[in-house]
Amino acid sequence: MKTLRWIFFSIILVFVSPAFGTEFLGLPLPEGKVLEKTDTYIKLEVPQSHEEILNFYKKLLKDEKDLKYRDWAEMTYIEDDGARPWHSINIYKKQGQNTIVQVNKDKWTWIIGTLTLRFVAVFVVLMVLQIALNISGQVFKRVFKEEEPKKA
Amino acid sequence: MTYNEILDLLYGTLVTTGIWHFQWNVIIMWLIAFFFLYLAVVKKYEPLLLLPIGFGMFLVNFPMVPLMGWTEEGHGELLRIFYHYGLEWEVIPCVIFLGLGAMTDFGPLIANPKSLILGAGAQLGVFVTFTGTVLAGFTLKEAASVGIIGGADGPTTIYLTQHLAPQLLGANALAAYSYMAMVPLIQPPIIKLLTTEEERKMKMRQLRPVSKREKIIFPIVCTGVIALLVPSVIPLMGMFMLGNFMRESGVVGRLSETAQNALMNIVTIFLGVSVGATMSAEKFLSYKPLFIFGLGIIDFMVCTAGGVLTAKVMNLFLKEKINPIIGAAGVSAVPMSARVCQTLALKYDKTNYLLMHAMGPNLAGVIGTAAAAGMFIAMFS
Repeated sequence: MKTLRWIFFSIILVFVSPAFGTEFLGLPLPEGKVLEKTDTYIKLEVPQSHEEILNFYKKLLKDEKDLKYRDWAEMTYIEDDGARPWHSINIYKKQGQNTIVQVNKDKWTWIIGTLTLRFVAVFVVLMVLQIALNISGQVFKRVFKEEEPKKA
Repeated sequence: MTYNEILDLLYGTLVTTGIWHFQWNVIIMWLIAFFFLYLAVVKKYEPLLLLPIGFGMFLVNFPMVPLMGWTEEGHGELLRIFYHYGLEWEVIPCVIFLGLGAMTDFGPLIANPKSLILGAGAQLGVFVTFTGTVLAGFTLKEAASVGIIGGADGPTTIYLTQHLAPQLLGANALAAYSYMAMVPLIQPPIIKLLTTEEERKMKMRQLRPVSKREKIIFPIVCTGVIALLVPSVIPLMGMFMLGNFMRESGVVGRLSETAQNALMNIVTIFLGVSVGATMSAEKFLSYKPLFIFGLGIIDFMVCTAGGVLTAKVMNLFLKEKINPIIGAAGVSAVPMSARVCQTLALKYDKTNYLLMHAMGPNLAGVIGTAAAAGMFIAMFS
């Protein structure tokens, strides 16, 4: 009976302990139930509204630099542009009382992705300019051809 | 006068001198300043910038000098005022671009618009270095400002650094101008490594003549494209194209001449001294400037490689091949890298004149670097 009590207590402890405020990569988390946790991210279900959690992080990070807040349709996205161990916080806008919060570690997928995209974008900008130059060159060629005989 | 009074007087006098507050780390800064003054005066490496930067650095590294601080009344001291209105307000890089635009003939680029692609390819190092800089522990904004050094464009480097990571301004500007001066040493080995002798001997058809009207329309077209696609960099590119429009229109000769000479020279002095003044011992002596110098050279090398490799890839699709050497000129550093290409081509064939062909990618590099800077600004806005 004593053993059973200990097992029961341990099970309760395992499930309940994440509900208390903990940390992930040095970032304090709101109190809630851990849905998923890996080395690269943690996903929580928090019994608070989206606004309450957003205010929690705004207050917590108010003196921090190099942070970007994005208000998207499905979530508020807080991104670290500094050198913190975590990369982003996703606060999902879900109907109901509970809110899903996800803290991500992975910076490198984002860095490589954004850099590749922006390198390609530099090509696109200069290619558009090239096309514009080619078109204006052709226009000038034609205009000149038409003007030359008139002058003659 | 009592003995104590005399001592007190002497003490009072002594504490107002720099000797009393002297710290060993300023000696290191003097040595660094002397090194850059040596490069400017003796080696003549980018003297117009390295001289005022070096002297500005020397000036601020004395204890108690009223140059970069704030007075009791709350206004800035001399160099603080230059720095505040010139760099913090991002005015000087834009005015320099106005002058550069007025000095630039875009004819080679207009005659061969393909060279714009080389200017884009040569930005490879900017993005590669970003990754390396993050790995070295810099913040993302700092990484962007260090990465842009490889674009070999001083005003753009200063503009972006001031925008994203002003604490690195001195080190970044110094690295950019130092390596720009060393382009003749950095680029040839990489070009040789990536090209065959056959490719280096490749001759290119003479560029078509470009009409005055085309040159006038170019700054308008370019401004329109950049403003629509990368609006964040339009303070720089807008001024660049305004300067060029003033030059090519031919109707405001006085303005164009002022932008090219008097104005350009005045702001260059303020730019150099202000950048130098940011390098006080307590800010500069850390591991970061060393990393920046280390990464800067890798940046230049990868950018050069990016340009050459882009030219080689383009040759796979082009009927009329281009000499891959001119890809290296995509790293702006106008006109130094174009001259390097010319010299290298002449080494292998005394009749192969590539200067005008290399000027195209060289000018495209300026636009490419500005576009890359705009991408970074957009990334963090």
